[in-house]
Amino acid sequence: MQNERSLEKHLHYVAKNIDSNFIKMKPILLLGHERALTQIKYNREGDLLFSSAKDLRPNVWYSLNGERLGTFNGHCGAVWCIDVDWETTRFISGAADNSLRLWDCATVFMLIENSIICVGVEIGQLSVKSAVRTCVFSYSANMAVYSTDATYGLDCEICVIDVRNADDSFSNTSPILRMQVKGSKVTSTIWGPLDKTIITGHDDGTITQWDTTTGRIIHSVKDHKGAINDLQKNSDGTMFVSASKDCSAKLFDIEDLSVLKTYQTERPVNSASISPLYDHVALGGGQEAMEVTTTSTRVGKFDARFFHLVFEEEFARVKGHFGPINTLAFHPDGKSFSSGGEDGFVRLQSFDQSYFDYKFDY
Amino acid sequence: MAKKKDSEKQNANENANKNGEESNFNDPDGFVDDITDEELLDDVLANKPKETDGFESVIIVDGVPEVGPDRFEKLKNVISKIFTKFGTVVSSYYPKDENGNTKGYIFIEYNNAVSARDAVTAVNHVKLDKNYTFLVNLFTDYDKYTTIPENWEPPVPQLYVEKPNLQEYLLEPDAYDQYLVFDSDWHVQIWLNSSPHPTLLEDRERWTESFVRWSPLGTYLATVHKLGVVLWGGPKFVRIMRFVQPNVQFIDFSPCEQYLTTFSPEPDAADKKKLVIFDIRTGMEKRSFIIDGAPVWPIFRWSKDDKYFAKIGPNILSVYETPSFGLLDKKSIQVSGIKDFMWSPSDNVLAYWVAEDKDVPARVVLLEIPSRQEIRANNLFNVADCKIHWQKNGDYLCVKVDRYAKSKKEKGEVKYSGMHYNFEIFHMREKNIPVDIIEIKESIHAFAWEPVGSKFAVVHGESSNIKVAFYDIKSAEKLSLIKLLEKKVCSHLFWSPTGQYIVLAECREVGALEFIDTNDFSTMASGEHYKATNVEWDPTGRFVVSSVSAWNHKMDTGFWMWSFQGKVLKRNNSNTFCEFKWRPRPLTLLSESKLKDIKKSLKKKYTVQFEQKDRIRLTKASKDVVEKRQKQMKNFKEYRDKRIEDWKKQKQERLQLRSYVDTDELNSDSKNYDEEIVEFIIKEETTVID
Repeated sequence: MQNERSLEKHLHYVAKNIDSNFIKMKPILLLGHERALTQIKYNREGDLLFSSAKDLRPNVWYSLNGERLGTFNGHCGAVWCIDVDWETTRFISGAADNSLRLWDCATVFMLIENSIICVGVEIGQLSVKSAVRTCVFSYSANMAVYSTDATYGLDCEICVIDVRNADDSFSNTSPILRMQVKGSKVTSTIWGPLDKTIITGHDDGTITQWDTTTGRIIHSVKDHKGAINDLQKNSDGTMFVSASKDCSAKLFDIEDLSVLKTYQTERPVNSASISPLYDHVALGGGQEAMEVTTTSTRVGKFDARFFHLVFEEEFARVKGHFGPINTLAFHPDGKSFSSGGEDGFVRLQSFDQSYFDYKFDY
Repeated sequence: MAKKKDSEKQNANENANKNGEESNFNDPDGFVDDITDEELLDDVLANKPKETDGFESVIIVDGVPEVGPDRFEKLKNVISKIFTKFGTVVSSYYPKDENGNTKGYIFIEYNNAVSARDAVTAVNHVKLDKNYTFLVNLFTDYDKYTTIPENWEPPVPQLYVEKPNLQEYLLEPDAYDQYLVFDSDWHVQIWLNSSPHPTLLEDRERWTESFVRWSPLGTYLATVHKLGVVLWGGPKFVRIMRFVQPNVQFIDFSPCEQYLTTFSPEPDAADKKKLVIFDIRTGMEKRSFIIDGAPVWPIFRWSKDDKYFAKIGPNILSVYETPSFGLLDKKSIQVSGIKDFMWSPSDNVLAYWVAEDKDVPARVVLLEIPSRQEIRANNLFNVADCKIHWQKNGDYLCVKVDRYAKSKKEKGEVKYSGMHYNFEIFHMREKNIPVDIIEIKESIHAFAWEPVGSKFAVVHGESSNIKVAFYDIKSAEKLSLIKLLEKKVCSHLFWSPTGQYIVLAECREVGALEFIDTNDFSTMASGEHYKATNVEWDPTGRFVVSSVSAWNHKMDTGFWMWSFQGKVLKRNNSNTFCEFKWRPRPLTLLSESKLKDIKKSLKKKYTVQFEQKDRIRLTKASKDVVEKRQKQMKNFKEYRDKRIEDWKKQKQERLQLRSYVDTDELNSDSKNYDEEIVEFIIKEETTVID
């Protein structure tokens, strides 16, 4: 099975469903991972889609047709988090092998022209004491933040590093800011406006706002009863949506962390994304794999669910995954979205006309 | 005491320390005991002997013949003969006048109070002979009788307390039904099933401490608590009545809501009664029973008019009558081997069945009460089990008979093989009650009478091919199979209370529902409420509710409202949902002909009205939704405008961060735009050309 799915075979995998009308609602299945997906991210323009899974190699894909552009080989543990900077020049990934790696994106393009082997070139790696759970480039991409897991008597830590002139010496980089997290570990991180704050979601449901100049906590709120699984900003970065194990997602103001809206479901929510085009929110999740008692996907509710941002009403579901959705993202143009599941697939889904025609009466 | 002790201890310690002598328990000088005995020894004082003690075993007997000393001994003999029957007489005293004549009253003392009391109840007002009648009283009552005031004062009339109208819920102009929703934390809500959205009528936390029930006609809501049962009613659900019985586990209403039966398997030690029947209107206890073993609830089954109630014991059928609550004709009916019985829903007739015993066949008997006349009996052979199903109108009785070809005894358990099933249909309304028999070879999963009308449905067959058969008994003898539906997913049958429509439900695994119109046996709709275990029609047959209870499942609990045509109207999912119960309605008071008239004019007269009403309601509802959304949108827009304004102000700072490249919009940066052309193979086609 593993051989069949091996990377080499699928190196130039183009989805089965592609034919003349492939841009319709038929999804493109991206088969590049051997294990459960952990994170997917579009670059700023949305032409590329990056994905990471519990296997060792993050992938990068053309979002238009699902063709794989390349992989980032090097990690020797489950990759928990990835990010790409705004210029799509550098790529960062954190893994369970206690390392944070910085990659050159441009190399990937160069190599594809040579069409020899399509791998990203590692600029450098930073070894830390425990698994890297989250990593994000700042708005300017001059800095990046990463957080580590709390294990073996080590506290969870949030570190800000300078990545402006990252080169071979990256491994010796010392953080410009280090924040110890007492208590519940960080599970999700985003940057606040103008790189002045960092917002972290925690295992116990708290959401904390940190000052990046002093390293102090500005706000801390606990509006979720279960672990925060994901935080994603809207297109202008003034709001963000949280996805929580307590079966809900909430819309927060990024400045004062006030809850603006709540989207309630009956299954844990693993990921939530705000449409850049309409007042829509997409939620992905489902019953946790370890808690699935029957084989029926009916129980699991592994659908991507669409809610109206303001009215909090669910208006559509997209089926497909046969395990919970772990990560989900809107394309920056809002005309398609992708979801990565526990089943190891990434589904790249373009909206058909009925989605654009659908209007709420008000 | 505590104070005293402390000071004593201190003293004692001091003394012991000082001189090592024996402790001195005397109060220190100047000690004032400021604690009253009541405070200290309240429990002990409660048992302190009272002055009256000892007099309880004394009685005063009046109306005794006045005799001289010559006949005194004879009198003494007569008296002691009468009064020694009740216990040991310790002493007797015959007051005499100066001439030695008795005064016509005597004092007798027993060795205990019980004997004295027995003597009073037994001998009081008993005639000794023509001239003398005993008047016996307890000595302790003497005071009571002497202090009766001379003038009788009429009792003060109690203030009239207005009771709420218990039937108020039936006056709802649109005949909306009510239902209760019971959540896992004893949270009870009562809703009005109004269109298009239900209305919350009552919402109370911890309204009950174990469960809630509607009374059979819907008048009361019963909540069960540790100390007993409370009935609520009226438009505001105020408390109507309380019935005290600790640790109640089961309750049962009589069909006309006159009596309430409560059963507590483990009552307090002091309170031995296990089953109590209360009068609902007065709250008085009517009778209690001690029930042995672990009986099947309900232990007592009521006849349709609350006149009789009955239970079975080993080889016995006990029928009691109201309002005396005594055994009918003061004796039970001996029926050896009686297994089960059911009252007819329309007459004072009960059906019971008797198990087979060696050469004596099993019997199904229809018994008329109170005449105890067997109006019909049917002998059956090779019977493993029987189930009695009365049709709701009492027009028909169906007895499902499980029969066997062979039986073996293995390890004390009887094993049957070659099972087949008979339905014995009794036509109650015809002369001599003729019986029809249907035989089905396959195993039976469910049986249900159409509540009104003459149809019934049976689910039978192997799991690979479950069949639903519909039978009709229109004409007297001819009972016919009118439809057989094969390969259905079905385990339970739910007829609409008004007949005609039926829901075939699979309530074990998937929760599939199929709505069938039995006029033409068309499937109106089918759906699935995953894992649904309960299905309930509303009392008027307009809605069906399927539910998944948190008592059975962890996931996706809640209840769904369906129209009778099988359209899901509303999905109410809640993690804490446990139970859904429609509020029952009493039977209609309209006559048959009136009902027919209404049905006739339904299309012409009422449909238009109803549809118009529905339209108005819907437009109003959608208007409400739109208004709500407009408000939400307005608030959100206001918030967003403020934030976007801030965001625009920060533009310079943003540009600075990204080396003056404008990335605010996806395509806002036109200067630094590089176009890269990437070619993809979209489709490859090979066409062979000849």
